[in-house]
Amino acid sequence: MFENILAGFSVLLDGWPIVAALGGLALGVVVGAIPGLTATMTIAILMPFTFFLPPAVAIGFLLGIYKGAVYGGSIPAVLINTPGTAAAAATCLDGSVLAKSGQAKKALQMSLYASVVGDLLSTILLIAVAAPLAAVAVKFSAPEYTLLFIFSLMLVAAVSGPNPMKGLLSAGIGALVGCVGMDPASGSQRYVFGSTDILGGVPLVPLLIGMFALAEVLDRVSKPLSLQHIASQVPTTAGPSLTKMEFTKCLPTIFRSSGIGAVIGVLPGLGAEIACWIAYGVAKKRSKEPEKYGKGSIEGVSASESANNACVPGDLIPMLVFGIPGDVVTAVLMGAFIAQGLTPGPLLFVNHGPVIYALYAILIMTNIALIFFGLIAIRAFSKILALPQIYVFGCVTVLAVAGSYAINSDFFDVTVMFIGGIAGFVMRRTGIPVAPFIISMLLTPMLENNFRQTLSMSDVGLAIFVQRPISAGLLAFFVFVAFVLFRSAKVRRLPA
Amino acid sequence: MSSKLKKIFMVGSLACLTVIASTAFAQTGAFPNQPLKLVIPYPPGGALSVLGAVVTTSAEQHFGQPMISLVRAGGGGATGSALVAQTPADGYTLLLGEPTIVSLRPQVEKLPYTSDDFVPVARLTKAPIMFVAASAAPFSDLKGMIDYAKANPNKLLYSSDNKNGWTYTGFELLKKSAGIEMKGIEFGGGGPAITNVLGGNTMAYAGDPSILMDHIKAGKLKALCVADSSRYELAKDVPTCKEAGANIEWSLWIGVLVRKGTPADRVEKLRASFAALSKDDAFLRILARTNTTLAYMDGAQFSKFVADEQSSLKKLYDAK
Repeated sequence: MFENILAGFSVLLDGWPIVAALGGLALGVVVGAIPGLTATMTIAILMPFTFFLPPAVAIGFLLGIYKGAVYGGSIPAVLINTPGTAAAAATCLDGSVLAKSGQAKKALQMSLYASVVGDLLSTILLIAVAAPLAAVAVKFSAPEYTLLFIFSLMLVAAVSGPNPMKGLLSAGIGALVGCVGMDPASGSQRYVFGSTDILGGVPLVPLLIGMFALAEVLDRVSKPLSLQHIASQVPTTAGPSLTKMEFTKCLPTIFRSSGIGAVIGVLPGLGAEIACWIAYGVAKKRSKEPEKYGKGSIEGVSASESANNACVPGDLIPMLVFGIPGDVVTAVLMGAFIAQGLTPGPLLFVNHGPVIYALYAILIMTNIALIFFGLIAIRAFSKILALPQIYVFGCVTVLAVAGSYAINSDFFDVTVMFIGGIAGFVMRRTGIPVAPFIISMLLTPMLENNFRQTLSMSDVGLAIFVQRPISAGLLAFFVFVAFVLFRSAKVRRLPA
Repeated sequence: MSSKLKKIFMVGSLACLTVIASTAFAQTGAFPNQPLKLVIPYPPGGALSVLGAVVTTSAEQHFGQPMISLVRAGGGGATGSALVAQTPADGYTLLLGEPTIVSLRPQVEKLPYTSDDFVPVARLTKAPIMFVAASAAPFSDLKGMIDYAKANPNKLLYSSDNKNGWTYTGFELLKKSAGIEMKGIEFGGGGPAITNVLGGNTMAYAGDPSILMDHIKAGKLKALCVADSSRYELAKDVPTCKEAGANIEWSLWIGVLVRKGTPADRVEKLRASFAALSKDDAFLRILARTNTTLAYMDGAQFSKFVADEQSSLKKLYDAK
C-alpha cells in the first residue's frame, strides 16, 4: 500500500492533475451557483472532452466540478432563496431568511465552513474504510431501505412547522406527485394522461427551481406597489461575519449531519438531495432551539450544508468498490472512469492503485482549496445584494426559464418549472410548508418500490423485517427512538 | 446602479443576444447542415450513455456536423424512443436503441410507438447475456441452478431489472427453455440488481459480461453460462448456455436507428458515415478502454437482424 501512496503522489507531481482539479473546483462553484446549471449536466457535457486526457487529470477535473457544485448551490439558496442545485434546497429555508434580515454573510460563511468540514470528515472515511463500509452497505437490501424510508418520512413531522395538518397535506400531495410516471415493476402508467414526456416522472430540478425561484418572484410581485417601491431601492447589507462562538456552537450538529450525509452517500441509490433534508429534520428534532428553524437558524444552515457535501465522498465509495453508482452524478462519473479504462469494482484498487491514491490526494487538496474559492465566491456573489431587487429578480426569472430548459434541452421541463412556481406561490400564501412536500415526493416512490420488493423477496410476509439481522436491528432502534420521543413529549405537556 | 455595473450589464446582455441571434441564422447546404442529435433513452451513466458519449466525441469528422447526446430517460426507455418516433423524419434525430425498447416491448406492451416506427442505421456493439450466481448460492453451474429450481419451485430469487427489460427477458427465455419456475425481483436497473446479488440478497442475476467479469475474477460471483453461439472471448472457461444445458441466445445489442419515413438518401448518408466511424482509430481506441468490442453491422444486415429478432420474440410471447 505504501508504494501505492508514493506512486500516487508522484502522479500528482506532474502538476497537471492539480491544475485540472482546482480548475474543476472553481468551475463547479460557479456552475453550482447558477440556478438551472447542474453538476450532472456539466460533467456529462465535459466528459467526452476528457477522454483524451490522462486519467488523473480527467477524473480530478470532473471530481473538482462535482465538489464545487454541491457547495456552490448554497450561494443562491441564501441570497435569492433559489437552490443552485437540488442538494441545497434545505439551505434555502433558513439561509434566505437570514439574508433578508441582513445577515447574508453569516449564512454564506457558515454554509462554506460546514461544507468543508462535512466534506473532510467524509473523505477521511472514504480513504480509511471504503472497502469494509461498502461491504456492509451491500448487505442492505429492500427490507432495510423500507425501514429507513419509513423513518425518514416520519421526519415530515419535524419539518411541518406550527400546523401539523398542513404538513400532512403537503406530504400527501408530495406522495401523489412522486407517483406520477411509469412503475418499474408492473409497467403501468400512472397519472400520465397519455403524455410521453412525463413517463419518467416529474423532474425534480425544474420543479425545485419553480417552487423556490419563481414562487419568490411571484410573491414579491404580488405585494402592494408602495412596499415594492421601497424594497426595490434599499439594498440589503451583507451583515456581520460569523463569530467563532456561533461556529463552535454548531459543531455537534455539523458532526452529526456529516455522519448522516456520509451514510446516505454510501447507501447506493440515495444522494445529496435527500441527505440535506434528513439531516435538517434530525437537527431540528435534536436542537435546543427548534422553534428557530425556518426563521433564520444558522444551525439549520450548518446541518443541511455539511450533510450534502459529506455525501460526495460517500457516493464515491460504492462506485469505486463495487461499480455501483450512489446517485445520478456518480453514475455519470462512472462513465468517465470506464472511458479511462478504470473499471470500477473490486479489481480497481488492485489494477490501478496509484491512480486511486492520486485521486484521494486530489480530494483532500480540493477540500482545502474550497475554503479559498468559497470565500472569493462569497465576496463576488454578495455584490448582488447591492443591486436594487427589481434587477435581481428580473434576472432570476430569466435564469429560471433558461436554466430549466438547459437541463435537458426539453421545453417540458420549463412547463414543470412554471407549474412549480404557481404551486410554490399558492403554498406560501396558504401557509403550507414546502419541506414535507419535497421529502415525501422523493421518498414515497422509493418506499413503495422497496416495500414491494421486500414482499416479493419474503415467503414469510412481514416477518422478514425481523428475520434479517440488520433490519431487526434498525426496527429495534426506531422503536426505541419513538419510545423516547413519546416519553419526552408527554413530559413536556405536563403543567409546569 | 453604479455606471460600472450598468456597463457590465449592457455588455453582458449584448453578448447574450448576439449568441442567441447567431444560432437562428438558417443554413443551406447538403444534409447534414445542422448538428445531429443522438437520443439516449436511459439515465446517464449506463452502458448506452457511455457508448453515446464515445460516438458523439468521434462523430464530427465523419458526419461533417457535430453530434450531440440528448438524454431522455424515463419509462424504461419508452420516453426517448417515443420522442424519436414523433419528431419530423428529417434524419437529424437518431435513436441509440437496444432490443427491449425496439423489438420486444412495443410488441407486448401498449407503448406510444411501434417497432415499425424505426429504420435501422447501424449496429455498434453486441454483448451476450451472462448468467451468474451469488457466491453463497447453493449451486455453481447452470445444471445445479436448474436442479435447485426444480426441487424448490419459486424459491430461487433472482435480481431482475424492469418488467420486459433485458435481464427480465433473459430469465424468461431460460425459464421457458428449462421448464423451471424462479422468482424475479424487479430492482429497476442493473446497479441495484448487482448490489443485491453481491450482498447475497438474491441468488442469481444475468447481465453484461464486461461489468460482471471483475466480480467473477474477484470471486464475488460465480459464472454459470453465456447465452451466445460461442464462448465469450474474455472468459473462455465459461460455457455457453447451450453447452451447459439450455439452448438459448440473448444479446444486448446497441445500435442507431432513425425514424421511418426519413428520405432514403439521408438514411444512406448516415449509414455510410457510421461505416466510416467504425473504422476510426481514435474511436476504436476509446471503445477498447471501456471493455467494449465493436460488433459493427451495416444498415441492410442490421435491418434483417432486427426483423428476425422481432419475429422470434413474438413467437416466444405468443407461446406463453
